[in-house]
Amino acid sequence: MITAGTKSKFSKWLPIIFGACLVVSFFLPWVSWQGNLVSGYDLPGGHFFRLAETKFKLGNPFPKLNFLFFVFWMIPVGALSTLIFVIIKKKWNLVAFVSGALSLSLLAVYFLFTEKLIMLGVGRNVFSMLQPAAWLHALSAIGLILAVPVSQPVLKKTAWIVAGPVFVFISFLAMEKYIMNETYSDTAGIKADYTISASDLIHEFAANDSAANKKYLEKIISVNGAASEVEVKSDSTINIKFADSTGSYINFSLEKDQYEKAKNIKPGDTVSLKGSCSGSFYSDILSTTQISFKRSTLNKQ
Amino acid sequence: MKKTILFLAFIAASGLLFAQKKTTTSATVSFDATTPKDDGPKADNKTVVGSIDTKTGDVAFEAAVKNFSFASPKMQEHFNGANWMNSDQFPKFTFTGKIEDIKKVKFTKDGTYKVKVNGDLTIKDITKKTKVDGTVTVAGGKISIATAFTVTLADYNISGMPIDAGKVSKEPKISVSAEF
Repeated sequence: MITAGTKSKFSKWLPIIFGACLVVSFFLPWVSWQGNLVSGYDLPGGHFFRLAETKFKLGNPFPKLNFLFFVFWMIPVGALSTLIFVIIKKKWNLVAFVSGALSLSLLAVYFLFTEKLIMLGVGRNVFSMLQPAAWLHALSAIGLILAVPVSQPVLKKTAWIVAGPVFVFISFLAMEKYIMNETYSDTAGIKADYTISASDLIHEFAANDSAANKKYLEKIISVNGAASEVEVKSDSTINIKFADSTGSYINFSLEKDQYEKAKNIKPGDTVSLKGSCSGSFYSDILSTTQISFKRSTLNKQ
Repeated sequence: MKKTILFLAFIAASGLLFAQKKTTTSATVSFDATTPKDDGPKADNKTVVGSIDTKTGDVAFEAAVKNFSFASPKMQEHFNGANWMNSDQFPKFTFTGKIEDIKKVKFTKDGTYKVKVNGDLTIKDITKKTKVDGTVTVAGGKISIATAFTVTLADYNISGMPIDAGKVSKEPKISVSAEF
């Protein structure tokens, strides 16, 4: 039988246990991205986005906001403070609420970001990627919030549990909408990453296809040379090609808005074109290599 | 003997002069997976390699997956990603087929002909039989072909949350046009 005395003793220990679990689990792995373990402190520590960027090409879309992540160091600091305040019998309500809410927010970030990685093919299910420490952290955070002695407990505790994840979820949706609505800038206004002659570019791909693909893929490149073929199509789009003696060629497609500038170009004319390189592929139909460009524009002569 | 060689050489030369196989490197393939919820997922590739044999009706197309141009950088990234087209591993889409009723097309006379094309569409190394309706237009010695059809993404093991959420069509429309 639990007496009033043992009950209050037990409830005194609860925030200490939850606080300790919160600190420990913060430093343990929360999620596994294809065998790469990511702990709670990896987001404020910077490893989280470094790993996502280098391994899975999904970096922080808003690196300027990185400083905001430092707030999550408040989780171990707050949880430790809760322990100490409970022991020395100081008021610990606010610090426990804040550490609990921050923990749940951080978990929500991990959950939603891992879902984004799944879209890129990293794993299939968030729940199978979560590690035991993530569950321990979630339970400790909820436990800590529930252990706080306050008036109107249901309302206040529910608010502190729900507020963080809801805030993170809404921010995520807003960021996603912003990112998805972003469009490519006009190539004409972008400084080329590389400027190269057509024959040198074809030669570089012929010499080492995979290295050239790695170097030029999705980069903006200015290519200069004598056009070998100009195709004006019935929809006013134009393809301009540079071929070399081996038959390999570079293929730029120009949109309708380039028609007036490009319509008079003849094979043999020296031209300078700029576009986003899509790399090379071997055509079985033509038995030769094509290097394609998209979002192309004619450079000013 | 000499006469035979001369005769064979003549045959070969006339074959070159009246080449039946025509090719292009500027065919267009459009991918349209837009839905009422999202008008973003669509792209064009205008450097598609194509060929047509006016005698046999054989047609073939090859499109570099990475040259599909989207307005949104994120959508282009997703399209090429491992879960979708996985363009690092499977760099091109191919179609090889035959215009069944090629005999009714008069390549020497201007006109528009409705034709049926039967062939194999390969995406991510998965090949599916595809039967489509197309149009062959002959105008001033130029041959144009056009077709539009839908593909079922699930046939090519492409699935994911945006499809389930109705933001990407389960059956995108593919339009092909080529001038030879």
